[in-house]
Amino acid sequence: MLNQLLFDFAQWVDSFELSTRLHESYYMYNWVESTHVLALMVSLGMLFVIDLRMLGWALSGVPASRIAARLNLPMMIGFTIMIVTGLLLFFAVPVRTTQSIWFRIKFLLLIAAAVNAWLFHKRMNESVSSWDREPVAPKRLRLGAGLSLGLWAGIVTTGRLIAYDWYDCYRVHSDLIAWAAGCMVE
Amino acid sequence: MDLLPFFEWAETSMLGGIGKTYGGVYAIGQSLHLLSLALLGGTVLLTDLRLMNLLLRDVPSEVVADNAHKWFKVALTVVICTGIFMAAAVATRMYYNPFYWAKMSALLAGIVFVFAIKRPLLKRPHDSIHPVVLKSMALASIIIWFSVAATGRWIGFS
Repeated sequence: MLNQLLFDFAQWVDSFELSTRLHESYYMYNWVESTHVLALMVSLGMLFVIDLRMLGWALSGVPASRIAARLNLPMMIGFTIMIVTGLLLFFAVPVRTTQSIWFRIKFLLLIAAAVNAWLFHKRMNESVSSWDREPVAPKRLRLGAGLSLGLWAGIVTTGRLIAYDWYDCYRVHSDLIAWAAGCMVE
Repeated sequence: MDLLPFFEWAETSMLGGIGKTYGGVYAIGQSLHLLSLALLGGTVLLTDLRLMNLLLRDVPSEVVADNAHKWFKVALTVVICTGIFMAAAVATRMYYNPFYWAKMSALLAGIVFVFAIKRPLLKRPHDSIHPVVLKSMALASIIIWFSVAATGRWIGFS
């Protein structure tokens, strides 16, 4: 049911002439993809610095709240560019991407990373006054920072794996993989 | 000096063989390359935006630069190791790829820039360096390292 809905949506997106044009434009498509990677250096780069500070591995002499607050803006600018270029990449290749098991795992990891980030900020804002100048954040926040690093490693890895066709629908798979990838008979 | 025989040897080496045979291992190498590139970008931006007075203005730039440089070295090491692994598997193709040489040139420029110009200069008290010099150096650094990333991405497109 959900797979059918997603497939119909992907086919509807695919029907736009602009989608085909973007996919077939050598320079435009590749620049969108390059911008996606360059934005990764900004967004994930800043996130890594924040997480490393929480774990006590970088800038441990600087108040944690100051690092988180100051790096938030460039990080969010990077994430915004990443989301826009990510949507454009999906727009250019909607059907294959919707039926990519890696894209689906990436999407779930993105949701998990967003929830983790929200919880992390909530917990940090609630307790930061008591440990702000400590070189290492409390255990719960360190766990959140470690989880953030792990989730983003997973997001980057699955994002990279979308390019591989090992589990594409035209290959023969078990029913479970075909269902997880959302393979439909066209 | 023709480097083609070296690239042909690299492709037939054990490292090249692993990358060619095991697609999953190659893909993990690519992911590690991207993750370390992100860390490298973060440390470069952190230092350079601070030197340009655009970020963390209330933290001494010496503290920011020294902390970031430690992780920059970690990131650069992983970028180079995973880069060698990735290039080895498709070495002959890399030899004929102009973007590969563009990336290697940008990477070499970046390494020379950091270790021969930027770090020696930043070891001095930053307030003894003219602000224009600091800001120009920071801007040059951002341009160089983002060129490394951009040319690297275009290797896959050509």
